Amino acid sequence: MPIHEKSLIRPENLVTHDDLVIDGVDVSGHWSTFIKGRSVTDYNEAMQDEIAALPGGENIHRCWQCGSCTNACTVNAVNNDFNPRYWIYLIRLGMEEELLRDKDIIWQCVSCNKCTYACPRDVMPEGVMKATAHWLELKGHTPKSPSTIFDEEFTRQIIKTGKIEETRVITRFFRGTGQPLRQNWLEALIVNLVKRFPVFYLMRLGLSVVFRPKTRGWNKARHAINEYVHEVEEANRKALGLGGEGAK
Amino acid sequence: MTKPVLIVGGGPAGLSAAHALATAGQDCVLVEKEAVLGGAPILSGYAKLVPSHEWAKDAIGGMVDRVKNNPRVKVMTGAEVQSFDGDAGNFTATMKDGKKVEAGATILATGFTHFDSVNKPEWGFGTYPDVVTTVQVEQMLSSGKGVRCPSDGRVPDRVAILLCVGSRDRQIGREWCSKICCTVSANIAMEIRESLPNTNVYIYYMDIRTFGLYEGDYYWASQEEYKVKYIKARIAEVTSDGKRLLVKGEDTLVKRPISIPFDMVVHAIGMDPNVDNMTLSSVFGVDLNKYGYIDKRSTYAHLAETNRAGVFVAGAATGPETIDDSIAQGQAAAMAALNALHAAHKTAAE
Ligand SMILES: Cc1cc2nc3c(=O)[nH]c(=O)nc-3n(C[C@H](O)[C@H](O)[C@H](O)COP(=O)(O)OP(=O)(O)OC[C@H]3O[C@@H](n4cnc5c(N)ncnc54)[C@H](O)[C@@H]3O)c2cc1C
Ligand code: SF4
Ligand code: SF4
Ligand code: SF4
Repeated sequence: MPIHEKSLIRPENLVTHDDLVIDGVDVSGHWSTFIKGRSVTDYNEAMQDEIAALPGGENIHRCWQCGSCTNACTVNAVNNDFNPRYWIYLIRLGMEEELLRDKDIIWQCVSCNKCTYACPRDVMPEGVMKATAHWLELKGHTPKSPSTIFDEEFTRQIIKTGKIEETRVITRFFRGTGQPLRQNWLEALIVNLVKRFPVFYLMRLGLSVVFRPKTRGWNKARHAINEYVHEVEEANRKALGLGGEGAK
Repeated sequence: MTKPVLIVGGGPAGLSAAHALATAGQDCVLVEKEAVLGGAPILSGYAKLVPSHEWAKDAIGGMVDRVKNNPRVKVMTGAEVQSFDGDAGNFTATMKDGKKVEAGATILATGFTHFDSVNKPEWGFGTYPDVVTTVQVEQMLSSGKGVRCPSDGRVPDRVAILLCVGSRDRQIGREWCSKICCTVSANIAMEIRESLPNTNVYIYYMDIRTFGLYEGDYYWASQEEYKVKYIKARIAEVTSDGKRLLVKGEDTLVKRPISIPFDMVVHAIGMDPNVDNMTLSSVFGVDLNKYGYIDKRSTYAHLAETNRAGVFVAGAATGPETIDDSIAQGQAAAMAALNALHAAHKTAAE
């Protein structure tokens, strides 16, 4: 069958044959392009449980597909392909292949929680989006998202010193996400800070950049936090059937 | 001689209990807090009922007359029970005006309260006059005035009915399905299409629960005979463009946002627990279930019983119920009350 609206079909589903005869009819070449069937051939039955095992995904089984999360969603308003309801459906049924088609937009959730307040079943779709992005990352389908890189640097410093030091968080975040250090907005911010801040505070800021003081008696806390983080990461990986080493 | 049975609430459940008891030769006292009997279908002016298609004022009106004209039933309207003492076979109820009623057993048939749509402000009720409830549409139909936009009296071109308003919603602590609103909405949609053939009616649903025989007579008939359209979407918000209402949401079947103009939006409101239930619970010493309705003991082992011996319950007081089921439960409670009276009578005689 010749098709003219090829742009509407996923390219991988379009097939032409250089040399094919069916029932005595020559169907070779461009004018006999075929569309491959799009039937679902299996369900990944572990998928819902895996997402549910990650923080935020716990209530995914409650969803009854009403669409309130999607129609409340900030990101959906600018990009119709961002559709939490639809993804929750795919995950619940284990349609992994379909979900992976959208892997590069799922992480774009801005955590505004409008969906959380609209959902009649208390699914907490925002948490499910977070868990799904996490799942994609752990399974190696997506690289770490910028927000994950930021969170990791933030957490790393807290665990190490009990404090955060903004200049380091920012520089490391830029490095981690491959962004240049000189950014217009950042320069403007620093210039304004220097102009408006009392000298005393500026000196303290400067000192902490150089000496990076630790919270007193932090060692014990660090130990406990590290242990906890390790435990959670271990559990997450185990739930996903991944190897034992830490996530980072 | 046994004492009379006290029936609280004069809706379909209370009326059927009174009629059943009187028919069996048992005296009863029917206490109703409103000025008239009939319960929600009469007080709120419902139109044609599901599933009989009879007008509420005829069908339920007939039940009212039957009870009012029965010498075995003493009717007290505008009355409420203030306190309730004693044991099965020997209760004394004191009314708000101080009158006392002796009773051998009691049936609570105190029904439900309509959900107040202002509690879902995103759906426009209270903001736009053309956003109404199923109760208002019932009244437009039963008054004979017909379905018109309240803002300017025009005939609506397009009507949207939103299901599950005030039901099945954890956000507002209402986890129950109100059972009848799907069917009532299909019924209303057919009534609108019949009286206004040029008006298109759309029903926005999450699930359709036209259970049992209602499936053919309402869900199928509304589509096959009346061309009512069903759209799978829970609406995000109802706004206005100054002229018409705008209904926004996601049509989940085509995975596309929708923003559709309507002349009238109807909320299919649910059945809340009676607002009096806390008071009833403390006056009569009966437990409420976790949703706030009056708790009924296991159906398999008990007949219409509450946790208090001699106090029975029937109808929408126990949870969302249809009229037909409320009537059946009223009759069951009557049977239970008779049993209790005879048991008390026997022990007293021994
Ligand atoms: C919009 C709408 C349409 C409906 N249409 C249909 C339909 O077509 N078919 C159908 O089967 N069902 C219908 N229903 C459901 C129907 O209304 C109920 O099934 C029915 O009213 C339940 O009867 P009831 O006697 O248990 O309670 P109610 O009808 O609520 O009656 C309770 C009575 O008790 C009185 N009362 C309450 N508290 C006290 C108190 N403290 N002291 C004294 N008296 C008290 C009330 O004033 C009332 O008269 C509809 C419901 C709604 C919301
Ligand atoms: S939290 Fe995420 S999914 Fe939820 S409404 Fe906001 S952007 Fe959309
Ligand atoms: S709002 Fe809740 S129940 Fe509705 S589709 Fe979204 S997650 Fe599912
Ligand atoms: S009967 Fe229908 S409209 Fe009413 S609460 Fe149940 S599903 Fe919703």
